[in-house]
Amino acid sequence: MEILRNLWRRKLRTSLTVIGIVMGIFALTTMGAMAEHFDTLLAGGITYYSNTVQVADANSSSGFGGGYMDVSTLAQIQRVQGVLAVSPGVYVTAKPGSTDVVSMGVPDFIANLDPNWNHYSPLKLSLAQGQWVNDASRYQVDLGSSIAAEFHMKVGDTLALPVRPNDAQPGFVNHDYTVVGILNPTLTAPDSGAYVSLHDAQTMEGDFLPTALQGHVDPYQLVTGAVVYAQPGVNLDALATRINAEVPTVEATKPSTLVSAFKSGGAVFTFMTTAAALLALIIGGLSVVNTMLMSVSERVREIGLKKAVGARTRHILTEFVAEAGLIGLIGGVIGYLLGLALTILLNGSDPSGGLFLVTPGLTALAIGFAVVLGAFAGLLPAIRAARMDPVSALRNQ
Amino acid sequence: MATLRLEHLTKHYGRAPQVVRALDGVSLEIEQGEFVAVVGRSGSGKTTMLDCAGLLMRPTGGRILLDGIDTGRLGDGERADLRSRRIGFIFQEFNLLPTLSAIENVLLPLRYSGADRRQGRRRAEMLLEEMGLRDRASHHPSELSGGQQQRVAIARSLIGEPTLVLGDEPMGEVDSETAGMLLGLMRRINRESRVTFLIVTHDLDLAARTDRIIHLRDGHLIDDQRVQREGSSAPEAVLVGAA
Repeated sequence: MEILRNLWRRKLRTSLTVIGIVMGIFALTTMGAMAEHFDTLLAGGITYYSNTVQVADANSSSGFGGGYMDVSTLAQIQRVQGVLAVSPGVYVTAKPGSTDVVSMGVPDFIANLDPNWNHYSPLKLSLAQGQWVNDASRYQVDLGSSIAAEFHMKVGDTLALPVRPNDAQPGFVNHDYTVVGILNPTLTAPDSGAYVSLHDAQTMEGDFLPTALQGHVDPYQLVTGAVVYAQPGVNLDALATRINAEVPTVEATKPSTLVSAFKSGGAVFTFMTTAAALLALIIGGLSVVNTMLMSVSERVREIGLKKAVGARTRHILTEFVAEAGLIGLIGGVIGYLLGLALTILLNGSDPSGGLFLVTPGLTALAIGFAVVLGAFAGLLPAIRAARMDPVSALRNQ
Repeated sequence: MATLRLEHLTKHYGRAPQVVRALDGVSLEIEQGEFVAVVGRSGSGKTTMLDCAGLLMRPTGGRILLDGIDTGRLGDGERADLRSRRIGFIFQEFNLLPTLSAIENVLLPLRYSGADRRQGRRRAEMLLEEMGLRDRASHHPSELSGGQQQRVAIARSLIGEPTLVLGDEPMGEVDSETAGMLLGLMRRINRESRVTFLIVTHDLDLAARTDRIIHLRDGHLIDDQRVQREGSSAPEAVLVGAA
C-alpha cells in the first residue's frame, strides 16, 4: 500500500512513466502475438514436413505441385526401399484467380482427404463436429476451422467449390459441396483447407487442366503430388535421394530443405518480437530509471529516517526495486490488455480468423518482462538510495 | 550496567591541517532510567554526540557501549538491528512519512525489526492512546498539528520498546506551551517505563526539568550537573553542580 501511495504522490510523473512501459509492452504484445501466430503455423509445417517426404512431378518447380503425376507412379515410389506408405495428393486452390485478398497466412486450398492416412500423418486432424469424408463421398466436404469461419459454414451448409472469383473466366466450373464435418483448429496450415474425397479432388483438378489437355487425359489418373511415409528408423533425406534416383519422373524434396526454409521464416518473427522487446526496453526502461532517480532524490530524508529506525541496506533496496517493479507491473498489465484488445479486434474483423495468437506464454512474457524491466531499471536508483549515509540523508533539505 | 557509555569519544571531520574536532575525548555514562539533557552552543558537538550514540555515525576514536555491547565491533547491518531494537529517535522536524497514517508511522520501525505485526499494532494503538491521539490514528501528518505530529514521533520512538530514546531538539519546532507538554509526556514515560532519554536542547528552561544536564563546548564535555528538585512534585528545579 505504501508503494502505491508513493507512486500516487506524483501522479503525472508516474502516469508518464507507466505510459512509457505501456507503449513498449503494447508493441511487444501485438508483435509477439503475430510472431506466435506464425511460429505456430511454422511449427506445424516443421512437424509435418520433417516427418514426411513430399513428392511432385519432376518438371514442377517445387515439391508443392504445379505439375501432374500419373497415379501409376505411386506404385513405383512404394517399391523404393524404406517407404512405408504413399498417399496420393491432389491440391487445388480454393480461390482461383483471387486478387482481392492479401493474406499473410496460408491461402485457402482444397485437398483430398482419406481419414485412413491420418494414422500415418505426423499432424493429426480431428473432427470438431460432423463426420469424415471418405473415398465414396461425392460433393461432400470437411472444412478446416479457418475456412469454415471465413465462410460462416456449419455442418449441413452448402459451399460452392472452388470459390468463384470476381473476375472468373468464361467456362469457370464449380460445384456445390455439402459440409459434412468441421475440423478442430490445429493453428497451422490444415485450418485453411477444404477436404474432399480423392475422386472429387480429381474432378476439380480436371476442371483446372489446360484447355488443350481437357478431353485428352483422364483426370482420375492424375495427382498433383504424393506424400511418402517412411518405415521407422529410415533417414528421410536419404529416402528422398533414393526416390529421385529410382523414379526419375518425380522429384522428392529432402525434408531438411523444407525445414530449414521454415526455420529461416521463423527467425524473421523472432526478430520482430525481439525488436518490440527492445523498444519496450528503451522507452520503458529509461523512463523508469528517470522516475526512480527523481523519486530517490526527493525522498532522501525518508531514506535517512528509515535507516535511523533500523532499515538495513537490503530493506531500502527492496522497497525501491519493488516500487519500480510495480510501475513495470501496472504498465505491463495495461499494455498487455490494450495489445490483447487490439488483437481480438483485428482477429474479429478478419474472416479467416486473424493474424494474431495470444498464448499463455506470451502473456507471461509481456507482463513478466515489464516487471523485470521495471525492477531492473529501478535497481541503480535503489542502490543509490540504499547506500545513503543516514546522517547526511536526515540533514538533507 | 549503564545504558550508554561513551569512552574518550572523538569525531573529526576533514583532513589536516583543517581538521574540525566535533568531539574531542568525551566520556560519560548514562544509567538506565535517567532523563538527560545535552546543552551547548551551536557547533559544540551536541548533535554529533547524539548521532554517534544513536549508531548513525561511526566515531573517529573511542568506544560506545550500549547496554554493555561494544558497538565499534559491529557491522552496518548489526548496528541497524541494534537501532531498531534498542534505540528510539525523536527529531526536531518530526520526520513523519507523509504517505503513512499516524499509526503506520508509529509502526514503521517494526517493519525492519521483524516484530509480530498484530502485537505491534496493539502496542501502537496503546501508545497513541497514551499520547492522546487515539482518534487521530488514521490521520496523515498533514492533518495533524505540530504538537500532534511530535507526539506521533514520540510514539514511534517507543514502539520497539527501546532502552534509550535520543531526541535532537525534539521541542524545537513547537511553541513553548506545547514544548512543555511534550517534555512532561516524555518525563512520564521515562518514570513509568524506565526508558532512558538523552535529548539535545538549546532551551535551558526545558533542560532544567530533566535529571541531568551535560554541557558541551567545542567538542569537550565541560559540565555534567545533576538536577535536584525541592520535593518530587515541584515543577521548578534547582541546579546543583556535579561536574
